[in-house]
Amino acid sequence: MKKLLSVCMVGLMTLSLAACGSGDSGSDEKVLKISGLDGGYGTKGWEEVVKVFEEQNDVKVELTLEKNISETLRPVLTSGQDVPDLVYLSLGAEGRLTDTMVAEKQIADISDVLEMTVPGEDVTVEEKILPGFTEALTSSPYGDGNMYLAPINYGPCGLFFNAGLFEEKGWEVPTTWDEMWELGDKAKAEGIALFTYPTTGYFDAFFSALLNVTAGSETYTELMNYDTEAWESDEVKQAFEIVSKLATYTEENTVANANKESFTKNQQLILDNEALFIPNGTWLPGEMADAPKVEGFEWGFTALPKVGAEGDAYSTAFVEQVYIPSDAENQELAKEFIAFMYSDEAASLFYKYGAPKTDADNNIIEDEYNPGAVMPITTASTKIMSEGDANILFYSVYDNGAKSNPVGFVFKDTVEGVDLTSAEGILYGTVNEVVNGTKTVAEWHASVIEAVKKYND
Amino acid sequence: MNKKKEKRRFIAVCLAPAIILFTVFMIIPTLNVFWMSTLKWGGLSANKEFVGLNNFKILFEDMNFIQALQNTIFLIVVVTIVTMVFSILFASILVREKVKGQNFFRIIFYIPNILSVVVIASIFTAIYDPSTNGLLNSIESLFRPETWETTKYLGDPNIMLYAISGAMIWQAIGYYMVMYMASMSSIPEHLYEAASLEGAGKIKQFFSITLPLIWSNIRTTLTFFIISCINLSFLFVKVFGSGPGGVSETVLSYMYKQAYSNASYGYGMAIGVIIFLFSFVLSALVSKATEREPLEF
Amino acid sequence: MKNKKSMSAERLYKIFIYVALITLAISIIVPVVWVFMASVKHNSEFYGSPWTIPASIQFSNFVNAFEKANMGQYFINSVIATGLGLIILLVVALPASYVLARFEFRGRKFMNTAMMAGLFINVNYIVVPIFLMLLGWDDFIYNLFGDGFFLDNIFVLALVYAATAIPFTVYLLSGYFRTLPKAYEEAALIDGCGYFKTMFKVMIPMAKPSIVTVILFNFLAFWNEYIIALTLMPGTSKTLPVGLMNLMQAARGKAEYGMMYAGLVIVMLPTLILYIMVQKKLTQGMTLGGLKD
Repeated sequence: MKKLLSVCMVGLMTLSLAACGSGDSGSDEKVLKISGLDGGYGTKGWEEVVKVFEEQNDVKVELTLEKNISETLRPVLTSGQDVPDLVYLSLGAEGRLTDTMVAEKQIADISDVLEMTVPGEDVTVEEKILPGFTEALTSSPYGDGNMYLAPINYGPCGLFFNAGLFEEKGWEVPTTWDEMWELGDKAKAEGIALFTYPTTGYFDAFFSALLNVTAGSETYTELMNYDTEAWESDEVKQAFEIVSKLATYTEENTVANANKESFTKNQQLILDNEALFIPNGTWLPGEMADAPKVEGFEWGFTALPKVGAEGDAYSTAFVEQVYIPSDAENQELAKEFIAFMYSDEAASLFYKYGAPKTDADNNIIEDEYNPGAVMPITTASTKIMSEGDANILFYSVYDNGAKSNPVGFVFKDTVEGVDLTSAEGILYGTVNEVVNGTKTVAEWHASVIEAVKKYND
Repeated sequence: MNKKKEKRRFIAVCLAPAIILFTVFMIIPTLNVFWMSTLKWGGLSANKEFVGLNNFKILFEDMNFIQALQNTIFLIVVVTIVTMVFSILFASILVREKVKGQNFFRIIFYIPNILSVVVIASIFTAIYDPSTNGLLNSIESLFRPETWETTKYLGDPNIMLYAISGAMIWQAIGYYMVMYMASMSSIPEHLYEAASLEGAGKIKQFFSITLPLIWSNIRTTLTFFIISCINLSFLFVKVFGSGPGGVSETVLSYMYKQAYSNASYGYGMAIGVIIFLFSFVLSALVSKATEREPLEF
Repeated sequence: MKNKKSMSAERLYKIFIYVALITLAISIIVPVVWVFMASVKHNSEFYGSPWTIPASIQFSNFVNAFEKANMGQYFINSVIATGLGLIILLVVALPASYVLARFEFRGRKFMNTAMMAGLFINVNYIVVPIFLMLLGWDDFIYNLFGDGFFLDNIFVLALVYAATAIPFTVYLLSGYFRTLPKAYEEAALIDGCGYFKTMFKVMIPMAKPSIVTVILFNFLAFWNEYIIALTLMPGTSKTLPVGLMNLMQAARGKAEYGMMYAGLVIVMLPTLILYIMVQKKLTQGMTLGGLKD
């Protein structure tokens, strides 16, 4: 048939269609299709977990991990054909494909996974996942108590700095914003800027934590539910003002480099002692592993300082998500896979196999891997990480008194022409303008409230 | 009689494949875009709601879109004028003057046009680097070492659009230069000789012979300028970002943002419709405004 | 005295010309050489000044690009899509341009206007409608034969490339056909050549310079094309620019700069070679806008 059609199409297309990727068909063997992002943790962890799952369940798994998955997956999801059974792509990721899936209500309800027993263990998934994660809007975006996106790969976000520099200068890591400003002036005197950021996209984690710091977690929940009054409150205004004050301490080239092409130059500022703090996530040390660093450089990490001595420090718990598209064929099998992901066995593999290690010449060292993703499970710090692990620096931030907060708004019908939450949107994107001085903090705050109101109309 | 029939058959056979392909892959999809622009639709599901012209109503009140449209017009005007002046100048130099290495220059000037935008973008990131490593900034530092502060080509809202124009102009000069060279070199030499004998200088010759005789060519390229500015600016914005407050957002990049990132596919297609109508009407107007009596030689 | 003055003015003018020409030439050569240099740089060399000479030559960047990023397979796909697209385009557009340029018939004006309007259709917004249309066709034959055909098919991709290039190509070619003297084809017709023979034996060979131009323009367009290839080939089979984008998207991983620039060079080199090969013909074929109407 193919042959006949191709003759009809154009005389030239006579030969068989080598490029036609119809795949193997005909066998009764169940095939689980997983598509996802080839991100900072690399692909090895997934490959290993998939291998074990295949052996234990006698199924075949087709794993596709790509860097531009949000672009390649969009047409597949639009078509509703050969849709992957499981997608690993987070809310808010570049291209915002998952956000669109939520908006279009194309994601299957997977609340029943919580009742499933984790394979090989005697606990349910619900018991295994760290508290707070499944109720968060990142897992239950419609706020109806049902889980649509399964939380995976969690890590604290906060401020990174060069601990070596602090030691050398005898500076203390600030615990309140007042101390922060003092430190900013001290650093300025030495020609070091207090603050920089990679792109405004990183403000989702930073600003969420800051809102929790100034307004508390109850108000934060209201904010994420588009409560206009909450957005107008003084505590929220304070968060905006802290950012605008921080803007005056921001390294001068930051805005010019805050784009996809040059954001690593902003990250480099920390390694060169040109700036003190940068908001980021646990993947940063891996991302900058090859970059040249000043002598005595050592990664430091802290939560966001509190306001006044009484307040709380916060560090956003960043999570990624996997989900099952409603059009997927093997939903039950995909659910089993999700349950398996929370087992100690899978979690250990995800953690053991991060991005491959490279030597000084950037050649990949065989069979050596950086630490990978940490699953948000109760055994994360006891069974998955061993003592002396460099990553404990980050994950211990919550043990040291900082509270954890989630990121993300409740789902609302899209409003044409209004972009509140993307990297270039009103809430985070405007930071560039505040730093530039083209917008005042009052204008920024007002435009956020205006946008929030539009969602409520 | 038979001849006439044969001719008709010939015309039909020659045109049919082109008409079919053009209709199937361009006309029908375009009509579809018009249809989709009347929907409230996220692009991924079957949940489509017909909203009539509502998307257009929102569009005309959407300040971000208006800003993007203004930026696009700005780019079209600036890039067209500067590129045109330089490419006509270089073309007439290379055609009329005895320049050593004429061929060399002609070959080199065209190269930016064959590079993919990805290459050009990474080149310009290094050129516009806001630190002292940047090519332009290190040149600047030579001229005013005292008061020197680096220029933020891609961060300063007052400069960014010019910076993007700069990259676009750099990319386009060679392309249009070759086009103008093609028509300039077909102007008969004796016209210049006659003018020379009458004592007309080079500048006079340029304005009274060269320019009028390549006028129809210039008019044609104006259409190309409009189309390619819309397309190219989008590719640059995709790499450099839309800048603080969307100072460099263009209509196409805004269309993408709405259609994909904001889950408003129908709204994005409404922007697409406006882009199509806008570029079409603009070229028609420009073409009308530049109409002159054709000159013969 | 007067002579001397004009001599120095002439000289000043010449100096100005050379300065202008050389400045532009340098602004082009330096960055292009820079990309080539960057493609053999070591990853750690990308953090400092971008203008340094590579410390050592890392051909491993290219090996990596071909092996890890699968650029070899993508390269072949791109060659097929571009080559086939060009062939289809010429087969379809040449006769149409000839007829539109040289024959009087009813609907000619309409056709010309439609083609002109086609110039303004932007692939960025019609690509999804095209995708949905092909998807519908696939659904239909899927029900009949149990297999899809139109999506993920490099031949269909080439066909869509050709179709989207028709307006511009017809515009360019018919513009050139109009400039050719009538005498040749009249002579051929009187000699008893049929219409087809006249077109193939006389007119198309005469349009060679313009055909070369069309080939170069469309080669560049197809070779660097990204958005159509991305949408119509959602499977694992990709073209070079799509593979390159994948390479460039640093995501949250560390960017492999050396490999990325190697990828850029792999994409760039064929276009440079083709351009150098045909550049002589380029000026001849660009007669636009009917200078000798």
